[in-house]
Amino acid sequence: MPEFKMGLVDGPSTDEPGRVWDLVVAGGGPAGMSAAIYAARYSLETLVLEGMEPGGQLSLTARIENYPGVPETSGADLASAMRKQVLDSGSTLRSEVVRSVEDKGGKGLVVYTDSAEYAARCLMIATGAAPRRLGVPGEERLHGRGVSYCATCDAPFFRDAHVMVVGGGDSAVKEAMHLADFADRVTLIHRRDELRAEPILARRIQSREGVEILWSTTLEEILGDDSVEGVILSRDGDRQRMDLDGVFLYVGRSPATAPFRGLVELADDGTVLTRGNVLTSHPGVVAAGDVTDNPLRQIVTAVGDGARAATAVYEKLKG
Amino acid sequence: MAMLSEKDQKQIEEIFGTLKRKVVLRVYVQKLECDTCSDTEQILGELAQLSDLLEVEMYNPQVDAEQAEADGVEMVPAIVVSDGTQSRARFYGTPSGYEFSSLLTAIVDMGMERPPIEESTAEFLEGLEEDLDIKVFVTPSCPYCPRAAVLGLRLAMASPRVTAQVVEANEYPDLSRKYSVQGVPRTVINGRLYAEGALPEGQFVSALAAGLSREGEADIVALAREG
Repeated sequence: MPEFKMGLVDGPSTDEPGRVWDLVVAGGGPAGMSAAIYAARYSLETLVLEGMEPGGQLSLTARIENYPGVPETSGADLASAMRKQVLDSGSTLRSEVVRSVEDKGGKGLVVYTDSAEYAARCLMIATGAAPRRLGVPGEERLHGRGVSYCATCDAPFFRDAHVMVVGGGDSAVKEAMHLADFADRVTLIHRRDELRAEPILARRIQSREGVEILWSTTLEEILGDDSVEGVILSRDGDRQRMDLDGVFLYVGRSPATAPFRGLVELADDGTVLTRGNVLTSHPGVVAAGDVTDNPLRQIVTAVGDGARAATAVYEKLKG
Repeated sequence: MAMLSEKDQKQIEEIFGTLKRKVVLRVYVQKLECDTCSDTEQILGELAQLSDLLEVEMYNPQVDAEQAEADGVEMVPAIVVSDGTQSRARFYGTPSGYEFSSLLTAIVDMGMERPPIEESTAEFLEGLEEDLDIKVFVTPSCPYCPRAAVLGLRLAMASPRVTAQVVEANEYPDLSRKYSVQGVPRTVINGRLYAEGALPEGQFVSALAAGLSREGEADIVALAREG
């Protein structure tokens, strides 16, 4: 029996004049949603600007096995459950993307989206990270035509096909496994001679039927006119062509910090510098989840820091 | 067995509580050569029970050929979202997964006095000099898709010059191939403008306007990036 996902896509909306939110959360992934649930319990007027991707990267994860209390679930289901809990908590969700933030001195912050502006006493940066582009020829041109960053979305287009997954981390391995449910053949290439993924995942992928791993191999170019036809691989300087139908890239993530440049201090890799896990260089601005410099990027750490961030805001506003 | 749990039904009843006027869904299904028609028929039948303002009418495109032509329906299963009169907003494929939230949103939007669009979007539609055929290809497992689908449908609800068709790409492989769909959401406008992924309304509309003003194929996302 098919599954049915509840939820609505909201339309444009504006605040009544003079409204000031206690907390505006930029980002609707696990960190932002956890903060919204905690903030609502602290009676903070909270608005979550969840952007175009409800649930953030969580929604794109096919299978989750390391979230305590939920032995096995899909990212989409866990994200919808969290989102429902946010709505039930009394916090407000809007599908707008934060573009910039202005500090009005003693008068708080103004958060600008594509279509509106919101006055806020405090801001939480929880915009997460987006898949990093590898930057090889053909990647941009063939995006959506065989080049993908979302196996959960696009795997069904590669039934009985030969696809490549690039990367060696948790995401690359998990999504290669998901793709193997659809594709006839999955080739995972990794530039090192050992996977970076959790050992349990690394073991599983190496014994998975239909999946082959090419070690110490890099992707040099993606070939094809209207759709992906093949790739050029390089190993020890040897270039080789391989014919295939799709390329899924999991080569790390770039933090989504562009709107906050100049507001908070960033690390060299673009993540938000934090103290005590969630405090930023700017008073009244907290951050949590994959957007920060915290090294462990997990759902549990995101929700934990989300709670911490909401608590820090509560302590500050209580005075 | 019911497809919607009691909890789901309750939640949907609450959602439909916001309807201000009648919404009529014209559903096209057939018994032959349609694997997903019976699922579609059942879920729409269940939805119809959840609001007095929602009417679901079942048609067979073979038998009701005239009505199907009036609705521009060419494939099954199809769902035309209307206020009881003409409509250019339709879904092709079973509304499962995330597509279900697109359908719920379309019903709520149609049940408003005016579809919820930004002022600048209304101005753009007002000034349209050509008809727009918007196809949004989606899959039920794609969380970004409802944003793209709903935007297309809102444009069709707001302007008589716009037709929007939300297509479940897995169910129509030939059509997907014709429009080079290998990733979703993929929006194709008048066969020559396209966008991979969902964009915020303002960005999408201004990039669309830019694309319409030039000739040939154009990537809406690239145009949006150029600002």
